[in-house]
Amino acid sequence: MVLEKLNRAEAFRYMGHKGGDIPTNIEALANECEERLLKNSAPKFVWRVFDIEKTAEGVLVKDTPLVLKGRSIASHLRVCEKCALIAATLGAGADTVIRGYESGEMEKAVVADCLASAAIEQVCDLAEAEIQSALSGTHFTWRFSPGYGDLPLDIQSDFLNVLNAQKRIGLTVTENLILVPRKSVTAVIGLSAQEIPKGRRGCATCNLRDTCNFRKSGKHCGG
Amino acid sequence: MDFKTLLNKEFILLDGGMGTMLQARGLKMGETPEALNLEKPQILIDIHKEYIAAGADIIYANTFGANRYKLEHCGYSVDRVVRAGILNAKRAVSESVNPEALVALDIGPIGQLLEPTGTLTFEEAYGIYKEQVEAGKDADVIVFETMTDLYELKAAVLAAKENSDLPIVCTMTFEENMRTFTGCAISSMALTLEGLGVDAIGVNCSLGPAELYPVAEELCKWTNLPVVLKPNAGLPDPVTNEYNVSPKMFAELMGKIVPLGVKIFGGCCGTNPEFIKELNLMLKTQKFREIKHEIPAACCSASKTVVINRPRIIGERINPTGKKRFKEALIAGDIDYILGQAIEQVRGGADILDVNVGLPGIDEGEMMIRAVKAVQGVVDVPLQVDSTIPEVLVKALRVYNGKPIVNSVNGEEKSLQTVLPLVKKYGACVVGLTLDENGIPKTVEGRFQIAKRILERALSLGIPKENVFIDCLTLTVSAEQDAAMITLEAVRRVKTELGLRTVLGVSNISFGLPERVIVTHNFLTMALANGLDMPIINPNVADMIGAVRAFNVLSGYDKNSLEYVAAYGTKKDAPVSVNVPKQDIDLNYAIENGLKAEGAKITEELLKTTDPMAVINEILIPALDKTGAEFESGKIFLPQLILSAGVAQGCFEVIKNHFAKTGAKSVSKGKIILATVKGDIHDIGKNIVKVLLENYGYEVIDLGKDVPYEAVLNAAVEQNVHLVGLSALMTTTLASMEKTIQLLRENNVDCKIMVGGAVLTPEYAEQIGADFYAKDAKESCDIAKRVFEEFYPQG
Repeated sequence: MVLEKLNRAEAFRYMGHKGGDIPTNIEALANECEERLLKNSAPKFVWRVFDIEKTAEGVLVKDTPLVLKGRSIASHLRVCEKCALIAATLGAGADTVIRGYESGEMEKAVVADCLASAAIEQVCDLAEAEIQSALSGTHFTWRFSPGYGDLPLDIQSDFLNVLNAQKRIGLTVTENLILVPRKSVTAVIGLSAQEIPKGRRGCATCNLRDTCNFRKSGKHCGG
Repeated sequence: MDFKTLLNKEFILLDGGMGTMLQARGLKMGETPEALNLEKPQILIDIHKEYIAAGADIIYANTFGANRYKLEHCGYSVDRVVRAGILNAKRAVSESVNPEALVALDIGPIGQLLEPTGTLTFEEAYGIYKEQVEAGKDADVIVFETMTDLYELKAAVLAAKENSDLPIVCTMTFEENMRTFTGCAISSMALTLEGLGVDAIGVNCSLGPAELYPVAEELCKWTNLPVVLKPNAGLPDPVTNEYNVSPKMFAELMGKIVPLGVKIFGGCCGTNPEFIKELNLMLKTQKFREIKHEIPAACCSASKTVVINRPRIIGERINPTGKKRFKEALIAGDIDYILGQAIEQVRGGADILDVNVGLPGIDEGEMMIRAVKAVQGVVDVPLQVDSTIPEVLVKALRVYNGKPIVNSVNGEEKSLQTVLPLVKKYGACVVGLTLDENGIPKTVEGRFQIAKRILERALSLGIPKENVFIDCLTLTVSAEQDAAMITLEAVRRVKTELGLRTVLGVSNISFGLPERVIVTHNFLTMALANGLDMPIINPNVADMIGAVRAFNVLSGYDKNSLEYVAAYGTKKDAPVSVNVPKQDIDLNYAIENGLKAEGAKITEELLKTTDPMAVINEILIPALDKTGAEFESGKIFLPQLILSAGVAQGCFEVIKNHFAKTGAKSVSKGKIILATVKGDIHDIGKNIVKVLLENYGYEVIDLGKDVPYEAVLNAAVEQNVHLVGLSALMTTTLASMEKTIQLLRENNVDCKIMVGGAVLTPEYAEQIGADFYAKDAKESCDIAKRVFEEFYPQG
């Protein structure tokens, strides 16, 4: 899979840009960083569909040891009978590009880091599009990731194992629950045969709501 | 039967998938399959027997993930699980139709990525593999499979070689782009593993046999070892999880790969005994073709192979000899300075980098490990590890990821005896210097004879000829005028008569003469014409790199002069934001507009007339204050702030060089420790803070990321530091931040602590005992200013 163009507007927003023109020298930095990232990253995703069962303990992903705990994921999947688990990564090459810049060109490191954050969202969009076209006639929720709401991060290891994500896309998680390579995402999409009422989405269900920089400046991340 | 005897067979058949078979018997996705070795051994015995009945000569014990890390949650020790796995396989063999079948200790990736992408160190990986190898000593062969990181695989192979006598088979997992997930190239895999002395190499998992054809084809070109192929049954369907290649189709596709020279066949995910049976039938109709390939002289990193089939530039700049600023950086442990040198040389055109960190008073071995790990983390060119101390070379050779060059051995008996066995063990290339106990021979014949002696000794140890490079040594022409021609003639004879690749450091030639570069680059051209393959030069000197590029055009290496035109054909675009005439640019303008090169140049000019401290205090700091204030007010955003800081950093570098040259001590406003706490690997925020603090004249001791609590304590105590900055980006690593603070407090370290990171709040910072919360990099500079003014005015 190849990304051809990165979402610049999104990346500049991550860099704290608050509107107005981007100075030409920063555009030039972004051009260079985007080119290197596109050349060195190897975007990949894997997904699989599972039946789910709602219990007092949480949402069980059937035939796996994975349990999705917490009120927010239960609410997210309340009308769903299946879910798709997704894992996506830009690969270690993106980390190498950013690390290379960090030893003497921090401005490029920051720009590349934010561009890569935008890129992994684009990879997730592609995964989501593939799921939607493979399962036409199904209704879908938006992507919900471990760490959102009260869905704990400590399911990452089981999540990756269930998708065989290390073998399939080279994605691992550290003991401190950081996904490695760094620019990676795991997410759950609910699937339902019936229409899904528009759920609450946004800051209210986010566990970063107290510390988020977007919120501090009166904005939101759009997630 | 043993593995070496089995190799006499025309084809060798392995087994098929294990996970697939276990899932068919009720194992859930995501469960630990190795626990079944103890809990339900009969299931495994039955599966192994089915594979042997289908024709497998070697069965893989169910030990793939039986490592310390993956078994942590299941309550069994590595030793128990691995022993049980081997025992089940051995029992299956003894009860099967083929009691001669061999049992492999099967070992997969640890499940954690190695540094620098992950947090696991090379040494930890070695320890984890050692434990598995020792537990599996009753197997007949060790198989490392599904590996994607050559570095991890090297740790595994060393652990096997140093703790077992069993034969070793290595298979890695490649994608359709002919690389592994971590970017490892097929050529690099082959060169590195063959160098380390494994017994067979190959490819498994990821794709089906059709997609793996080009991967197998490329691998066969790069090795004369037996080649293994163990593909998946195609790809799994995400909804049904069924694989899409049937047993018959699998065997048919594998049949097309046989003529490439592959000898060992099996199946991976999605295959079962039916696939192995079909493979067996297919192989009975085929003939094995042994194809001998000429393996070229080459060195490599994990992602890049440099074949020495045309002039290749070795960058010489990572070497403290005669460089005061470099020495200072080594003493301060400033690894970023070394990385800067590495990146600059690669951009300048270096194909290989020499790494020498020898300096009296520092621990050269430890510094070599740090430098090699750091440099290979940011550039992809192969390295030439350079030291006069064999113990330092060993350290570098262990942690190097790929096939390096060792610089150097010479004709002295002691050198031959100590260095060449290392070169053999680690599968490196080696530079042989044409000198011995009696010094450098004054004649061509004398140098030629030493080269010959080095080659013969290398061959007798099993080091292949293509791994031996000879340096005929450059002497100073102003001291001995004949010396130049002696060197050149020696190069020519070594190249043509011994057929060896040649290396030469050229800059010595012009020592003591004016306009040295004229003599040096002409000597370089003459040397290239006499057969020099690897000049050791500074690629950033235009005349030197120009001489090599011109030679490549004139000698036909640079086809249609494409590279030459790419380098010189178009003028590089001027920086986009320079809209004012050059003479009007002052330092303020350069900083505000992010003009790095101009900033450095103006600083150099200023230093001719202005006191360096005045440049810092009257120009640089006010300019930084101004951009800082603009950032706070939202007039500029983060990349602009950092770009300005980067220009200032370049100016400070010029001033540091100036201090180093004049012997003056630079003035530090105070020492600050920065660390990203244990478990956290988000480094970027901390590094932004570092750049800004350094610009304000603070001496930053950067402990890096994933820093143990004790390391922060030790650094603070040993270096008497009064301000410690800690960064954490995850809710899961805030606990480490708290523990680090606790440890500093318990030991009554006389310091203030500031903390920052996305998930922190001022309240939480206070709660965990920090003195200050910094919301961004700018604020950390304000805090530093306050701390040193109010609490520690002496610095």
